[in-house]
Amino acid sequence: MADTVSVPTPRPGAPAGRRRSPQARPHVRRDHRAALFFILPALLGFGVFYLWPTIRGVYLSFTDYSLLTPPAWSGVANYTKLIGDASFWRSLAVTLEYVVINIGVQTIVAIALAVLMHRLTRSSFLRGVLLLPYLVANVVVALVWYWMADYTLGVVNQFLGWIGFGPLGFFGEEHLVIPTIALVNVWRHMGYTALLIFAGLQAIPRSLYEAAAVDGSTEWRSFWRITLPLLRPVLAMVLVITVIGSFQIFDTVAVTTQGGPADASKVVYYYIFEKAFSQFDFGYASAMGVALIVILAGVSLFQLRLLRAGESDLS
Amino acid sequence: MIKKLPAAAGVALLSLALAACGGSSGGTASSGGKTTLSYWLWDANQQPAYQQCATDFQKANPNISVKITQLGWDDYWTKLTTGFVSGSAPDVFTNHLAKYPEFVTKRTILPIDDLVKQDKVDTGIYAEGLADLWVGADGKRYGLPKDWDTIAVFYNKKLTEKAGITDAQLKEMAWNPTDGGTYEKIIAKLTVDKNGKRGDEPGFDKSKVETYGLWLESSGNGLGQTQWSMYAVSNGWKFTDKNPWGSRYNYDDPKFQETITWWKSLIDKGYMPPLKATEGVAWNDMLSAGKAAMATNGSWMIGSVAGAKSDKFEPAFAPLPTGPSGTRMSMFNGLADSIYAGTKNKDAAWKWVKYLASPACQNVVGQHAVVFPAIPAAVEVAQKKFGEKGVDVEAFTVNVKDKTTFLFPITDHAAQIESIMKPAMDAVIGGTAPASSLSKANEQVNALFK
Amino acid sequence: MTAVSMPATKTRAAAPAERRGRRVRIGRIAAWAVLWLFVLITLFPFYWMLRTSLSNNRMLFSDPSSWLPVAPTLGGYERVFGLATLQEAQAQGGSGASIRFWLYLRNSVIVAAVITVGQVFFSAMAAYAFARLRWPGRDKVFFLFLTALMVPPIFIHLPNFELMKNLGLLNTFAGIVLPYLFMTPFAVFFLRQFFLNVSREVEEAAMIDGAGYPRIFFRLILPMSAAPIATLAILTYINSWNEYFWPLLVTDPTNDDVRVLTVALGLFKSQTPQGSPDWAGLMAATLVAALPVLLLFAAFGKRIVNSIQFSGLK
Repeated sequence: MADTVSVPTPRPGAPAGRRRSPQARPHVRRDHRAALFFILPALLGFGVFYLWPTIRGVYLSFTDYSLLTPPAWSGVANYTKLIGDASFWRSLAVTLEYVVINIGVQTIVAIALAVLMHRLTRSSFLRGVLLLPYLVANVVVALVWYWMADYTLGVVNQFLGWIGFGPLGFFGEEHLVIPTIALVNVWRHMGYTALLIFAGLQAIPRSLYEAAAVDGSTEWRSFWRITLPLLRPVLAMVLVITVIGSFQIFDTVAVTTQGGPADASKVVYYYIFEKAFSQFDFGYASAMGVALIVILAGVSLFQLRLLRAGESDLS
Repeated sequence: MIKKLPAAAGVALLSLALAACGGSSGGTASSGGKTTLSYWLWDANQQPAYQQCATDFQKANPNISVKITQLGWDDYWTKLTTGFVSGSAPDVFTNHLAKYPEFVTKRTILPIDDLVKQDKVDTGIYAEGLADLWVGADGKRYGLPKDWDTIAVFYNKKLTEKAGITDAQLKEMAWNPTDGGTYEKIIAKLTVDKNGKRGDEPGFDKSKVETYGLWLESSGNGLGQTQWSMYAVSNGWKFTDKNPWGSRYNYDDPKFQETITWWKSLIDKGYMPPLKATEGVAWNDMLSAGKAAMATNGSWMIGSVAGAKSDKFEPAFAPLPTGPSGTRMSMFNGLADSIYAGTKNKDAAWKWVKYLASPACQNVVGQHAVVFPAIPAAVEVAQKKFGEKGVDVEAFTVNVKDKTTFLFPITDHAAQIESIMKPAMDAVIGGTAPASSLSKANEQVNALFK
Repeated sequence: MTAVSMPATKTRAAAPAERRGRRVRIGRIAAWAVLWLFVLITLFPFYWMLRTSLSNNRMLFSDPSSWLPVAPTLGGYERVFGLATLQEAQAQGGSGASIRFWLYLRNSVIVAAVITVGQVFFSAMAAYAFARLRWPGRDKVFFLFLTALMVPPIFIHLPNFELMKNLGLLNTFAGIVLPYLFMTPFAVFFLRQFFLNVSREVEEAAMIDGAGYPRIFFRLILPMSAAPIATLAILTYINSWNEYFWPLLVTDPTNDDVRVLTVALGLFKSQTPQGSPDWAGLMAATLVAALPVLLLFAAFGKRIVNSIQFSGLK
């Protein structure tokens, strides 16, 4: 894959390339022009396929739009409805529970896996195996587990039976359904997350561990004193990405419980989908989408500040 | 075909999701004076039958060709909606009672009264009531019926014989909300725990049930088509103030709530699995796995269930139990073909719809024995064909013969009602709320009509 | 790639205590056990999928707890490749609808490859501008890009669909590929983090030698970041390969010329007759669909996995 990326020779006539004096002012101007050149394709894609649809979505949130008839301006009606909609707030709480379990378990497991791999083996086969679940589409993963975790016939409950636990209604009990869905997605993502963290681990100089070992530090101590602090920038990035992805949990719910039982797994994204595409209330769905964006932006800002990932040698 | 309830939908898959908008599908193309009609349906089992109809139709109308596309239930409605948005929905498509009121309101399907009148199509040839289902609240007709379905009891003959229950007993089951009648007695007998004790024997351990007498498909949401509607209606209950186009639901009726209370009591007694067991493997697989002896479901499942015969599972069908009213009651639901309002080939589309609802095509459908056609004579053909396959479907047709059916409740706001009633029914069947809590849900439902 | 040595083992000689050595060994055994437990958890569902794909779907639930395929048959695979007749397929609980597997495979390869090349390259350019160049509004634009990460896809799919419809790009490769071709916020964010850490001295030295930005980017930054770029490329490839909703949205169910494998898989699944899905066929299809990515990974994975490094993180 790498070959496809590293595009061959630089173009000799490239615009700003030839000037020799790295003096302050021309340097800056050259920066500007080069920046424009580099940013343009992405900016175009961003404007057309992210920004514009988002603006249109925000517009739709102020309308009454049923997909089949043109949108009609309705002011803040959707937003006032949103504030009084208990189902919306409940779906937010459900989503939050999911995110906490999903991210909490996933991050811990991934760090553990990465550290174990890092300290135990160079086997790329092993890393490849752990990445396998990520290769299977979301919905299929959900279906496979939905079936394996069945209350009556599922193989998971058979295992539990052998070690003396009664069958559990993983997807069918109100208090178990969200943890179950969260863990299913941990299964799919743990290897991938571990691999990202593993890459971060490899950048930590070996000499630090060796020195620590000479000083009599245990593996456990080294982990807390060397690994974790040095891993922070990578962790920050991994967390920002996974937390936002986690908030957008949808496929697994759509394929399995569809929000049940008794709305116990009706996450906010599924609620939006239901409003938009099964009740055709696209205006209201858009308003919920806007609320979700605001919430996510808040969470990410908070996270970035907490982890100080925004720090760079440029700022 | 027919109403697939969300809980049954591990199946629902990918599709569901999303799909805002549909492809530039369907549409029509005319080339060289030849019109191509697009036609959609969702049941793969029926496709061969309708393909045959299309071939016959094309022979009679050489200048029209019909292209049939089959999509699974969820993809179907999603792509249809997006097709309406992009103006590229199919010319003709199979329609459902739960969906068409919305399409009428949004004017995405054509009223066909003028065409019916002009061609003098007799809407009296269909099984009673079916044609009326497709007259909208505005008094206009939006489809011609093509088939129907009813509910019956699916059971595993291997298990009933083991319990010493005869087919004759199963044909004569009676139910009431007080003690469950002979129906509950049979369910109890068919329930077996890990030690081999039956549900009606002393020492039965309801915490370790190996085979349930009756399977629970889901809480049934607001419709209970295959779950509880037959009990409630045979107890004298009505879904709405009038049908079709009622504007008040009756979930607050004591007759409904006592029915649900009884139904739920089967779970407490260990005769029916808890709600949590309904997420995962589908009900018909539980039946063939021997985890349940009986289950109530619709005639559209005959083919799948009959085909799953094994040395552990011998599929058979019994009529529904009779209720306090003295009769059995099955929901009667039917599909129709509707014409997309944006079609560019209205005449050809109408010809095709007319043909689909005609005895010629209906007999072909009957021959394939996958579904009951809307015309009684064709039903007999189907029944005979089923018989040749060794499947006795009288349990389903008896309701129509005895006129012990009630019509699928057609009202506006079907999707919203579902989203209110699903959690409410889940809570009752899951045991976290009493049946009386449904009165509050009923208020929410009826508020939609104000 | 630095050699991965085991400092704990190497330096044990320095710590003379015998007990400590044993403790380390027990610790290592326990650590290995945990690692293998995770490998087992990872692999078991795949075994279950394989076992199911080789079962006869109709018979599947007559013996749900069997560890081996129930009434073993290759029927599931035959249905996926469209080799079974309608009767054969329906007899085993499938739908028998025709599937042009090789066409969908080709389509998926094209879509995933084009998206990967375009997205990684353009995102790398943007990431370079964000990480290395000074220009007015840079941080604001970057923040804007970052917020796009928070926009739920469901929110923007409808307007994007309208756009594709107006451009006449429904049912084309362009329609499937375009929204992902120029950037994703993740790709830009990911690469920027790496570029930030490329040593500035090297860059300045090159500049003094008269190299322009494009030259620095192509000759210096890209090669130096080959590992993270390769990582991103493979992740992008996997994601594009698994993308379902967007291709479903912009393609036509009646026309399968540009249908990709995931959409075919979804349709295959929902084509099953009412009731329960054709599990055997679905699992066979899933394994078959995962196979090309698997092969790709087997071919390049070792190199990629081994070379992933966050170079120069302080």
